[in-house]
Amino acid sequence: MSRLDVALIGAGFIARTHMAAWIALGARIRIFSTDGQAALLAEEFGLTEAASLPAALDGAAIADICTPTTTHHDIALAAFEAGAHVLCEKPLALTPKDAQHMSDAAHEAGRLLYPGHVVRFFPAYVRLHDAVTSGALGRVAMARFTRTGRYPTWSNWFTDPALSGGIVTDQMLHDMDIARWLFGDVVTVHATQRGRPHAPEGPVATGSATLTHQSGVISQVLGVWGPPATPFRYTFHIAGSHGTLTHDSLAHPSLRVTGAAGAQGDGVPTGDFGEDPFATQIREFAAAFQGGPAPRVSALDGVAAVRIAAAARQSAATGLAVAVAVDDAYPLTLTEGSPR
Amino acid sequence: MKVALLSFAHVHAATYIQLLRDRSDIELIVTDPDAEPGDPTRGKTLADELGVPYRADYEEALAERPRAVIITSENTRHRQLVEQAAAAGAHILCEKPLATTEEDARAMIDACQQAGVSLMTAYPVRFHPAFTALRHSTTDGSLGRLLSVHGVNNSSPPALERSWFTDPALSGGGAIMDHTVHIADLIDVLLDGEQPTHVYAAANEHLSPAHEGAAEAVETAGLITLTYPRGLVTTIDCSWSHPATHPTWGGLTLTCVTERALVEFDAFPPLLTGYDTSRATPRWEPAATDLDAAMLNSFLTAARTGQRAHPDGHAGLRTLRIVLAAYESLRTGQPATITAA
Repeated sequence: MSRLDVALIGAGFIARTHMAAWIALGARIRIFSTDGQAALLAEEFGLTEAASLPAALDGAAIADICTPTTTHHDIALAAFEAGAHVLCEKPLALTPKDAQHMSDAAHEAGRLLYPGHVVRFFPAYVRLHDAVTSGALGRVAMARFTRTGRYPTWSNWFTDPALSGGIVTDQMLHDMDIARWLFGDVVTVHATQRGRPHAPEGPVATGSATLTHQSGVISQVLGVWGPPATPFRYTFHIAGSHGTLTHDSLAHPSLRVTGAAGAQGDGVPTGDFGEDPFATQIREFAAAFQGGPAPRVSALDGVAAVRIAAAARQSAATGLAVAVAVDDAYPLTLTEGSPR
Repeated sequence: MKVALLSFAHVHAATYIQLLRDRSDIELIVTDPDAEPGDPTRGKTLADELGVPYRADYEEALAERPRAVIITSENTRHRQLVEQAAAAGAHILCEKPLATTEEDARAMIDACQQAGVSLMTAYPVRFHPAFTALRHSTTDGSLGRLLSVHGVNNSSPPALERSWFTDPALSGGGAIMDHTVHIADLIDVLLDGEQPTHVYAAANEHLSPAHEGAAEAVETAGLITLTYPRGLVTTIDCSWSHPATHPTWGGLTLTCVTERALVEFDAFPPLLTGYDTSRATPRWEPAATDLDAAMLNSFLTAARTGQRAHPDGHAGLRTLRIVLAAYESLRTGQPATITAA
């Protein structure tokens, strides 16, 4: 059993959420980033700051990649080279080719690769998965997923579709993965993506995707990156022959504070009170890295989600429905039909 | 004012009768000659139960020269009845969808125009005061430009009450034919009649009750995406996916994403909820806003004054074209193109 020596690569928003979970597991963390933020985190949380990527990976059992999407591939390959397992923030990559290559490289190096599909660890989706797989919903016909929040202006690269893939890839990939987890492989995607970089209150974006699964289930994924005051919210609604299941993350908070100065009322914790899903995720991955059971999400799930998202991007760009290769045949091909 | 309601085929017929029968300014007559003889849920039996005067057939009802006619027949029989009612000089409220083919819809519009009578399509949701407020806030510029609109109109399967809803010869299709038009009409209002350029649809029959010897199954769940000339995107969930044993029939919601806000409209929120121990079901008391009553008021006022009633036949046709494009998309697997009318 290997020790939890973790190389945390990147020092942005996601790195912070992962770091807390690693610390709770007693991991020893060396952190490296190119944005000048690693030193701050190292000092604040007593981590070791590494001077370079090779230095960070040297002797690490695990690399946790929390960098912008387009850098994942090369960092992952360097990690495998250095003998580390990899937890890679979602999406694994922008292109199916890169994602597949990362998965192949892990296999060849005899290392493990897990994508940070953290939504699979949120309690509402766990319970939904139970209801679908146990047959409690009967034969599922249709599902809708929405995910709404403020536009991610905390890092510049999100606003550049060439780096993030835009909302369809960076945000809606979560629910595409959930839909595939619940209803099986996706055969066709039709998607739209709209953005207004210069809206009055800052950039806004919205996207939609209609997925047709091999099982015949149809699912709809909607994403919104809204103006700054937009609360974070996710919802789903599933309909089957034995009824429906609905969740709205804002509908039934365990604690609601109103009237206090400042939106959240400083000093009063609000929101979810169970285990942080990021912590659940990292605990499950850490166990697998140390020889424990396989987690609920695999590298191939990460590759499949990238494939769906890439097909969605292609659909949004062309206006056509796009077939998703279910096996490892890529690149993507258009389905037959009338061009737009 | 004499008002004739023709056919009880649609489940809304009884709703309209209950809203009109007690009005002192309305003399309501009804007929349902196409019902199966002896069907206790239709025909003279239902008219007697509801306490309204019954006429033997359409000809007899129209011979009394009603000023207004409400048509609640099966979808594919709308055209015949609209043409008869127009010829009798009546203003017409036709249940949605207006027709199941573009040819029928155009013939109905033409017949009413030639007869000098109003043709109104029964889209009640646009009469909701909250929708009026939504329309104002999305058109007065205060919310910035509209990026996307996401509509949901789910109900329990209507064929449980009226089996023709799943017989394409009478219904013209399934959930897409039945439900797409309500949301499409709201978007038609928001966009002032602008038509989408492309329509994509996905559908399945997973919720169809499997029974032997059934006719060709119609779709019971559907997801539709519309794209507009200036880039606006609209999605519509038209599924018959609401549980039949739920205390309410279903619902309709619309979410608008604008540059400055998200706006959510719920046409049928519960006024009261709770639990009923005597029936072991949740309680669900519908909101006090009666959209059917508001729609009927608008129709009857137009009929009385001779003004044009809205939503008119053209609104019915524009929304039908979206439905027909959705079916074309299902056939090809790709978005269907809508050309300017």
